[in-house]
Amino acid sequence: MTHDQIREMVRRVNPIPDPSMLEIVDVPVLTTPLERRTEKQIDDKPGTEVQADRNRRRGPLVGIAAAAVILIAGLVFFLTRDDTPVAEPAPNATELTGGFQPLAPGAYYADTDGNEETTTRGTFVIEGDGWTDVPSGALKEGVGEDLVALLVVEVDEVWSSICEPTAPVAAGTTAADLANQIATNGLTVREGLAPVNAFGHNGYHLVGEVPAGCGGESKPAWTGPVFDSNRWYDSPEMVEYWFLDVEGTAVMIEASWLPGSSPEEDLTELQAMLDTLVITP
Amino acid sequence: MTTQADQRLRFDTIWREHRHHVLAYCLRRASSADAEDACAETFLVVWRRIDEIPPTPKTLPCLYGIARKSLSNQTRAFYRRGRLHAKLTNLGMAPAADPMLVVVQRADDKVVTDAVRRLKPLDREIVMLDVWEDLSRAEIADVMGMTRAAVDQRIHRAYQRLSRTLEPAMSISPTISPPIAEEGGT
Repeated sequence: MTHDQIREMVRRVNPIPDPSMLEIVDVPVLTTPLERRTEKQIDDKPGTEVQADRNRRRGPLVGIAAAAVILIAGLVFFLTRDDTPVAEPAPNATELTGGFQPLAPGAYYADTDGNEETTTRGTFVIEGDGWTDVPSGALKEGVGEDLVALLVVEVDEVWSSICEPTAPVAAGTTAADLANQIATNGLTVREGLAPVNAFGHNGYHLVGEVPAGCGGESKPAWTGPVFDSNRWYDSPEMVEYWFLDVEGTAVMIEASWLPGSSPEEDLTELQAMLDTLVITP
Repeated sequence: MTTQADQRLRFDTIWREHRHHVLAYCLRRASSADAEDACAETFLVVWRRIDEIPPTPKTLPCLYGIARKSLSNQTRAFYRRGRLHAKLTNLGMAPAADPMLVVVQRADDKVVTDAVRRLKPLDREIVMLDVWEDLSRAEIADVMGMTRAAVDQRIHRAYQRLSRTLEPAMSISPTISPPIAEEGGT
């Protein structure tokens, strides 16, 4: 089959082949909330005066805290490292595409950067029904307030706070850098940053809860290189992280659930995914 | 220095000439409500940055780039409770839910739709810009912020992947056949 033939087949399924048929009756409405939101999201980039000022005010304290945390964590990590044999990834895993499609029980893998030229991936097994293929992982939205998710990602940008609108900055290039950025972004820390050997790699572990008033549309947390891979939190939401050094690549594993409202069976399925998760370089 | 009247005139021209294409772009990727929001947001940005919008023929690719960012900003909320269902039914490349916009699909079209849907999101977006928005490779590179070579490589791989998916489907379904002549387009 030639590329031209494929192109024509794709053209045939264009849901709107002729845009001129669309009837547009409204002119753009320049409402205040939308204007504010757009201005924030489009204009509020690193390097702006506002952001530079925020960074200047925060910089020294955050930097000292970060250095202390990493130094201590590194020391503890060296002393406590675990050389447990690494599990093999589940065979015949299907690649997650982030297409928001339902996932049948089975083995899946997430390409951590969406780049076919690199091979780092996280493979895990989904045991139950109701999971959805989302960018960088899988998510289950149940009845009512239920929401559980597992993401295996690299991170491009982070926001310095999830509790006030800020602009994104480049994520650190090491697991320690990334761990520190997330650990100081306003999450209520439930289990402090600690060194681990997990999923076959060395790194750091953290559990945090999204405080009331934090998260939401104007206060995102991070974006990744996978197309549309990004994250806004909601309160209340519990997030467990592993920041791993996978042969020089910082990979973040993020398991999240709603404390008190995610059903036990969903949490069990999430735990089973973590139990089978293997990160391969 | 342009006057406000000049800016208004330019905005009106851009709105008149490109609004259908921008709305179509958004509707191909999002639900009707989200598409309308993204379209409005796109032209809001155009209004605010009218002096930065390049002249034709670069205007429309620039608008697609803004619309893509607007949609991406909406997509960031996909983890939020109560929004996922709408995303599940519309995000990616599904037709909008409005009856007037729903197209009748042939059975074999679904095979093609599913194959495109299974592409990696970045590859899918590039294929859609290539085929549905009918942009040149250079224009796609502008919209996506990539090099022309990267776009070429992505498109080549995406078509290879589609070929691997569609050829077996063609061989077992006599109703699926490659098109003979070109029709429609944007």
